[in-house]
Amino acid sequence: MIDAVLQAARTLPPMRAPSLVMDLERLGSLVPSRLSFARSLIRQMARQRWHITRQYFALDEGGYGEVIYRVQTPNGRYHVVIFSRPLDDDQRTDRVIANAWDLTFGLVEGDVEDSLFETLAENVPLQEAGRQHPRLLVISRANKSLRNFEIFVNALAGGEQPPVQAIREVGYLYRTTAVYGNGKFGIADYGRLKNNPDFRYPFSAQMTAVYVLRQFSIEQAEHLARHRAPETAVPLEPTLRRYLGIGNSTGLGMAPFLIRHPQLINQWVHAREQALAIAKSQIPSEEARHRLLSLCTRAREYLAETRVEDADQTVRNTRTINELDDILPWLEQVELEDNLWQQLTDWSEAAQSVDTQEMINTLLIELYPEPVDLLEDTMAVEEKFELEPDMPLIRLKQLIETQFDWALAEDFDNPEARYWFWYQSVEKEEPRLGIRGEDPGVEKELPLAIAPRVQRSYRALQSYLEANPGALTIDFLLAEPAHMECIRRIQTMAMTAFGEIQGNLWHRDMKPMHLLRTKLSFLGANRFDPRGERWVRVTFFQGAPLVEELNAEPTDLGTFDDWSFAHSPGDARDSVDPTQIKRDESLV
Amino acid sequence: MKVSFNELQALSRKAFMGIGFAEGHADDAADMVTWMESYDLHGLEALNRGLEHLMNSDPDTRPEILYQDSDLAVVDGHHLSVLRASNLALELAFAKARSRGLSVIKIRRCHQRQLIMGYLARLSARGMNITAFWRNAHDPLTEQVVGFRANSTVPSIRVYAVEEVPEENEANDGITLVMANHVDLLPTMRSDYRYDLLAKHEESELLAVRERAMTSGIEVTPELWLRLKQLAHVTLVESFDASRLGAGPAE
Repeated sequence: MIDAVLQAARTLPPMRAPSLVMDLERLGSLVPSRLSFARSLIRQMARQRWHITRQYFALDEGGYGEVIYRVQTPNGRYHVVIFSRPLDDDQRTDRVIANAWDLTFGLVEGDVEDSLFETLAENVPLQEAGRQHPRLLVISRANKSLRNFEIFVNALAGGEQPPVQAIREVGYLYRTTAVYGNGKFGIADYGRLKNNPDFRYPFSAQMTAVYVLRQFSIEQAEHLARHRAPETAVPLEPTLRRYLGIGNSTGLGMAPFLIRHPQLINQWVHAREQALAIAKSQIPSEEARHRLLSLCTRAREYLAETRVEDADQTVRNTRTINELDDILPWLEQVELEDNLWQQLTDWSEAAQSVDTQEMINTLLIELYPEPVDLLEDTMAVEEKFELEPDMPLIRLKQLIETQFDWALAEDFDNPEARYWFWYQSVEKEEPRLGIRGEDPGVEKELPLAIAPRVQRSYRALQSYLEANPGALTIDFLLAEPAHMECIRRIQTMAMTAFGEIQGNLWHRDMKPMHLLRTKLSFLGANRFDPRGERWVRVTFFQGAPLVEELNAEPTDLGTFDDWSFAHSPGDARDSVDPTQIKRDESLV
Repeated sequence: MKVSFNELQALSRKAFMGIGFAEGHADDAADMVTWMESYDLHGLEALNRGLEHLMNSDPDTRPEILYQDSDLAVVDGHHLSVLRASNLALELAFAKARSRGLSVIKIRRCHQRQLIMGYLARLSARGMNITAFWRNAHDPLTEQVVGFRANSTVPSIRVYAVEEVPEENEANDGITLVMANHVDLLPTMRSDYRYDLLAKHEESELLAVRERAMTSGIEVTPELWLRLKQLAHVTLVESFDASRLGAGPAE
């Protein structure tokens, strides 16, 4: 048995080096893959025959009121409770410091009795300022895309479909501005969910709430159209419904998560790298080659349709489109050799942008659902930093030199290398960046930059070791207790390959956007649209199967799952069966 | 008011940072308090009682090793709370037990000893059998024994009053801990002397309490919650128009 395990371990294809994978710029070029949580959730819902139904719909002619959706799984019953309220335009901001939103909502475990509904109605609309019920698994809020909302309601009320162009430009009717889980403001702890078979994947409860909100956004727009013009109003065409996602607006608040949860990040990146290694080691078939060509074409069209305001992102997208154009004819003509995928990634790494390299990697992973999807089960982990107090200090020193060489290499005497500091503002504890030596608050700096901490601890350890050559880790820490947390992290993370982001978060050239994109890609966000250096809008579930398709209990789960890199269905007035969109690239 | 486990842990951590705990030590202290409270072992009550003491103790005062050899250590807690004085001392005992099979450590002169259980749970989860012993009161004389089985996160607890007080009954504000790599050290009451069992918590009973806390939340007085928030506030940076740009321009 042990021999078999060892044999299996020996035959696992090699993964890429952490120094390459965990480079911040590379992480900032990731795109969602079939392991992203939005994709995993849709697969799980279909596999387990989840049903989502509207239980209560009490909106007035302005679209304000309350709506409840039921989510029935084989293991339990949940409800998404939505509160839609009037909002003055001058109050509509996506910043975390906002106090009011167009709508607020929560995912509740179990049934919503009258008394619970009253409690939710009093508190969910207040979000952070409320005291939330422990049966809430998730709370969130969202603001309207005013422009799209008006276009949609007007068109539908007039018996027309809204122009596809409107969704191409903004892929949603609502964008969430924060989606809270894990005990925030009194809601259920993650500990409640970790043994729940419905939500055992990271962020699956949050993704469920957002997915149901997408359905609400469609039904609310149709409701408004019917009220505005009952005689002429029409429902939204299925193709457009499917092309509509839910937006999300994210700022620096997402960045600390990546630093504070390195064990979780390790699981995510490890799963992706393992998937890539498995994919690259497969012997390609003609069918796989055609599938990859089809996926490249789809990804190319998705990027071509993606409208972003940011000039740099536009350049990056255009470059990826051009580089995919280089790959397509090569892939069509090249001989089908056993190591074709390795040839492809070698070429891409040597000659193409990091964005294109990671796009190709994501598409290769897409080719092999069976071995890859098993890795979903490895993406959660119980996190704990633990000391090894009996580790000889000389061993710890060697560990730092081997595993944290990237941190030791940084020259912190250079003012550019210690330019930024991270802090939390009194305004809703919003994470912000300040300039060291110029902005106030440096004495309250958040310890998010790992490299300078590792260097500090390493230097202290070196001098202690010189005086105490046989010392253990605990001897050093009893003498220098301030280094405990850093040493504990080093010892814990030394057991992992992909947990630490290998970059200097103090450096003047550091781009926080890369941090945001890392997490967003694993969540499954598309249409990455930076608004400056610290703010980004993305879209979830664009192209994902609709609630009615899910409730129809699909039998072809492979086709059901094939909704990545959605692009527009053409003019919706040429109505198309949404199930045909997925495989038929001629619709591009 | 009800709060979640995670919420209590996060706010406690920030409050300890506000008091002046170093990073990591604040996490440990918060974990110890929250662990106690999640098992309904009055962690918040102990914290509330000791908060002024914690705030008034010099952040530069550290526990001091008075004696150590391969198996044994005596630590002076310098009248600090165990929230400040115990984590590294316990790691020392852990290291010795790993190396020698069994270790004994005495932490003298420390406060809020009840709260040490949270850190013991952590060491036990790392595969260590642990027994901790201390005296709660001297008139009447009460003693407490807490035992963790290796890899279990919940202890067996016995609290009892001793009727036949020994002649030598000097106030004892220390804790004695025994750690063993391989041997169960759970407390079992067996004595030739008379005693009254005041409290007995079994592992199964504690697990049920924990489950309730995770389902229904943890009760905190609004006053203590506010106090923790005030302490945590010290870690935040005042906001002004320019600082809002530190999170990027408004959309």
